[in-house]
Amino acid sequence: MANNSKTILKLTVNGEAREDLVPPNILLIDYLREVVTITGTKSGCDGGECGACTILINGNPTLSCISLAVSQSGKNIETIESLATNGRLSILQQMFHEKLGTQCGFCTPGMIMASEALLRKNDNPTDDEITKALEGNLCRCTGYVKILESVKAVIGDNARVRV
Amino acid sequence: MEFLPDFDVKRPLTIVEAVAMAAMKNTCFLAGGTDLMPNLRRGVGNPKTLVDLSAIAEMTEINETDSGLCIGGGVTLQQLIANPQIQRDFNVVMEAAETIAGTTHRYTATVGGNLCLDTRCQYYNQSEWWRSANDYCLKHKGNICHVAPKGNICRAAFSGDLAPAMLIHEAQVELISTEGRRVVNLDDMYQEDGANSLTLKQGELLASVTLSKLDGYQTAYKKMRVRGGVDFPLAGVAMAVRGSEDNLEDMRIALTGTNSRPIRLEGTDALKGKPLDEAGLKALGKLVFAQVMPMRSTFTPAAYRRKVAINMVRRLALNLLCQAYSKR
Amino acid sequence: MTKLNSELKPNKAVGDRLPLIDGIEKVSGKADYTADLDPRGALVGLILRSPYAHADITKLDISEALALPGVAAVITGDDCCAPFGILPISENEFPLVKDKVRYRGDAVAAVAAVDMRTAKKALDLIKLEVNELPAYFTAEEAMAANATLIHDDRTGNFERKISDEFGNAEKGFAQADLVREESYHCNEVTHAHMEPHAALAEYDVERDRLTLQSVTQVPYYVHLMLTQCMSMDSSKIRVIKPFVGGGFGARTETLNFEIIACLLARAAGAKVRMKLTREETFLTHRGRQETTIKLKMGLSKAGKILACHATVIQRGGAYGGYGTITSLYSGALLHAIYDIPNIKYDGFRVYSNTPACGAMRGHGTVNIRFAFESLLNSMAEDIGLDAFEVRRENLLPDKFETLNGLKALSYGLPECLDWVEKASGWNKKYKKLPKNKGIGIGCSHFVSGAGKTVHWTGEPAATIIIKLDFDGGITVFTGAADIGQGSSTIVTQLVAEVLGCDYGRIRVIANDSAITPKDNGSYSSRVTVMVGNATVDAANKLKDILLEAAAGKFQCAVADVECLGEAYQMKDRPDTALPFQNILDVALIGSGTISVKGTYFVPREYQGTGKHRGAAVGSSPGYSYGVSAAEVTVDEDTGMITVDNIWVAHDCGRAINPLSVEGQIQGGVWMGMAQALSEETRYHDGLHLNPNFIDYRFPTIVESPHIEIKIIEPGDANGPYGAKEASEGALSSIVAAIASAVKDATGVEITETPITPDRLLDAMDKQARKLHKQGKR
Repeated sequence: MANNSKTILKLTVNGEAREDLVPPNILLIDYLREVVTITGTKSGCDGGECGACTILINGNPTLSCISLAVSQSGKNIETIESLATNGRLSILQQMFHEKLGTQCGFCTPGMIMASEALLRKNDNPTDDEITKALEGNLCRCTGYVKILESVKAVIGDNARVRV
Repeated sequence: MEFLPDFDVKRPLTIVEAVAMAAMKNTCFLAGGTDLMPNLRRGVGNPKTLVDLSAIAEMTEINETDSGLCIGGGVTLQQLIANPQIQRDFNVVMEAAETIAGTTHRYTATVGGNLCLDTRCQYYNQSEWWRSANDYCLKHKGNICHVAPKGNICRAAFSGDLAPAMLIHEAQVELISTEGRRVVNLDDMYQEDGANSLTLKQGELLASVTLSKLDGYQTAYKKMRVRGGVDFPLAGVAMAVRGSEDNLEDMRIALTGTNSRPIRLEGTDALKGKPLDEAGLKALGKLVFAQVMPMRSTFTPAAYRRKVAINMVRRLALNLLCQAYSKR
Repeated sequence: MTKLNSELKPNKAVGDRLPLIDGIEKVSGKADYTADLDPRGALVGLILRSPYAHADITKLDISEALALPGVAAVITGDDCCAPFGILPISENEFPLVKDKVRYRGDAVAAVAAVDMRTAKKALDLIKLEVNELPAYFTAEEAMAANATLIHDDRTGNFERKISDEFGNAEKGFAQADLVREESYHCNEVTHAHMEPHAALAEYDVERDRLTLQSVTQVPYYVHLMLTQCMSMDSSKIRVIKPFVGGGFGARTETLNFEIIACLLARAAGAKVRMKLTREETFLTHRGRQETTIKLKMGLSKAGKILACHATVIQRGGAYGGYGTITSLYSGALLHAIYDIPNIKYDGFRVYSNTPACGAMRGHGTVNIRFAFESLLNSMAEDIGLDAFEVRRENLLPDKFETLNGLKALSYGLPECLDWVEKASGWNKKYKKLPKNKGIGIGCSHFVSGAGKTVHWTGEPAATIIIKLDFDGGITVFTGAADIGQGSSTIVTQLVAEVLGCDYGRIRVIANDSAITPKDNGSYSSRVTVMVGNATVDAANKLKDILLEAAAGKFQCAVADVECLGEAYQMKDRPDTALPFQNILDVALIGSGTISVKGTYFVPREYQGTGKHRGAAVGSSPGYSYGVSAAEVTVDEDTGMITVDNIWVAHDCGRAINPLSVEGQIQGGVWMGMAQALSEETRYHDGLHLNPNFIDYRFPTIVESPHIEIKIIEPGDANGPYGAKEASEGALSSIVAAIASAVKDATGVEITETPITPDRLLDAMDKQARKLHKQGKR
């Protein structure tokens, strides 16, 4: 179809500058999972309902399942795969692991990326601020109790420097 | 790979370019996409071209005017909430914005998008398979409104939270198309028809909305929803009052979620200059009862939504008057 | 090289708060779920779903779809001649319907094509013509005389009618000082696991072999049903479970899409990927059925429960599924929580033209427990007794056998009651909180694995294989499905506890039928107890081999060898200590790779008496007990309930991993709260009205309260290191606790779940009108 021709998308994904030929109607999540072939970002609903697909675009949390790839031209995309350094988990990831902020793990990438976005803007959030930041990220396993504990474990006096 | 219909995406840098691109048929604007994209994924609508507004810098500004604030249609809800002027002078708008969807949605959802939110209905916000199995509906492809099968009008509910809050502030919207620019009252942008709730013309862009400050008023937004995040309003009330419980000087009320358009409650002038006592509250309740029109557009019963709208209006009025009093 | 010093001690793994052994993958995005598996070369599979609720198919024409370029296969009910179902007595479902559709969403045909677009187009080209039949969306309609049968061999549209009486209920009621009968209604809920259903099936034409990777909790049952529905030799089938994003019971039976993916793969001679939408995942369902309960209870003045009679009608949906078991559970677990001398149960499992129900967390017990605990609280109030006191009047002994033949060796309910009463501040709060605030409690229990499996074969209830080789790595092979609950972590801890070795030595390989031993799967909270016992058995056998090797090395008796985990020494002779690897090297001489097998059989007396029909259901090696209290605030303008606090005590026998036990209890009690407050599926003429996370309202983090937990550990001789169930039992107590708290806050007796704002406001208005009327008189 002539009006559906592919275009070259230039953007940065997890620190790597990319150029990909993509159709205009590809969702950002599908671009990440099937073109970039990183599958940490999850799809849990039929669009915009659950937050499992949360990634960062220019540092802002965004639902990749209702975003178009072509709209991200020139932007900086960060996914769950970007957080570890040389194979070492970030403190936030480590706390989700240690405090059991993850059970089945399916909401976890979105939950962590939404938390990451909050912590970058506010390194000492209150319980209410954490709750507010995660209100659109649904979890079915934990009752959210240990998710809240996981995020709290990286702030203020609880913050631990990794050795 | 999720299925989206075939469409082309254009990404203009200016409003002029955008409206030129949108002049053709089967074109629609894409702002934050938090409303449009779920609908497209469900097979509602089949646009040939999406005009993506996200690169238009001039639409993302918030500027002070003589009497208030001019907010670009592309301003995100998060930007709106974080804006100091909004926080200072437009409490009801901030409160309303904070209740919309979830935080992550608000980073992309825009002011223009929420004002132009598609109406919602339990028979409409469903997959193509679902709607086809239900013989479609008046709003899309069908001949009957399942909410009110005997009527000939769609009863889907307007579910935006910003509109009532902005109506309180005498909002005016700047609409631009290839035919030119016009400024209309926000109130006039809506009509009571779920299938055509916006009076915008094809290709007309909501470029900005201007709010007027309300000096000496207490304002607030209250939203009935089952969950504290994500949910659309079952009923939402925006209010501004001036005066005290002993003497109600002025009162403005607008509601959402109950009709196919946001509504300004009429007739509150009769309550002015008097205490808002038992009789006043009763009269206020009657006004709400008469003007809201919740229907079976959600499975939460219409009678409940009407009742709760009345209760919220009364409670909010008392709370705000009490606040006003304590601020003196 | 292992350090050898006097500090060296065996790893005391039981009781350790070990993070999940697969948690690192989950937090780093490396965990591959079914939809993440390599899709290269895979066709897209899609299902054509019936728009009709109940209809005979008169025409199904797939010729145009088959002719569409890019379509590799189109299949219908004709492509599978064997039915499936979890219970051998009710295998009445075909992966694709034969001749008749029974609910809106029933699978009619399926397509495999090169891409999504082509597959969608192909679905549109399939022509379906039907003769519609009367459809029934409530149990009442389906049970009516002369209703059209949904399944020809089920008269009256009953899947099962149960009538059991233990003792003499009428006699008990006659002796009682207070007898009340109330009706309760629980609306349908569903699991809503975060991962939508998905399957990846690959058929190897040359070898006639099939590999399925799927989201299942029960790979073995899937294997069985594939053998049956594919008419294949089971040795040609391989079932693998990748990471699974939750289940809660939804995936405890073979689901139609899993078989469909395989049928498509064979028909196309290819690899087929199916990713169901969230809507389709809702339609696949198997959740907790809509239930109507009539409950009659007789109490003495002192609060002794003298009799109860429950009549339970369950709307089961279109297919049998677990239905009979669900219905039996509701009756069987009226027992084993309190000492009640007379219990009568009438259960009705009814077919309807809605998606089939099945097992959901707290299988069969949640709705009846809500009714029972609510009525008990209400009647205690009637006779002026405290809710805790009335329960203390009805306690079972520490070890007991119930009227229906359920036996157990531990009973932590009394300690649970004590803790919750104190922690919640009950005595200062009940009936004493400010207006619109209230507190309530509920109790519950659940099996630690079903005493008898649904497919009885005489095999062990669980089998574990452990391999130890030259490298010193201990590899544990298990068929137990870790779906996020952490079963592989428990297996790791048990091996580490027995051998005393470091966790780093242990790897768990789970769920690949070509590699791991058969396991019945993750359901009925069976894994910790059954797989755990088998693990301990296997690890002990391995330890025996190592001890023997050490004895040979030290030239002493086995009894004189001390295992330090990472080293072995002669008892009290640190100077003789040798690292694990040295002992292993000795053990390998003449034997090579060490492989041991551990098994667990449920002792006969914990499999039910067999004295009445369905007696095996409810039997278990042990029962968990839970008590929860909820404190709520009700908004009188809107009817909104805010749960301010939850306290929950749970007797799980022994917490092998307190961290994950907490997680399970919090998740369970939260899910119960969700059912109490806001979750329900709704239908419009059989069409699912809320198959999405906007309208199927399970709580967000905003309205989820802090949940304070106490783990009660009486130890149970049947469990590994005393462990019992830790997840499902916690769920059902909270429903009544919240309902009773709402009553304390508003005076309104709650008889329907969920207690949505509209229902509560209506009930409050009704009550206000009633009181007003009474006041006028």
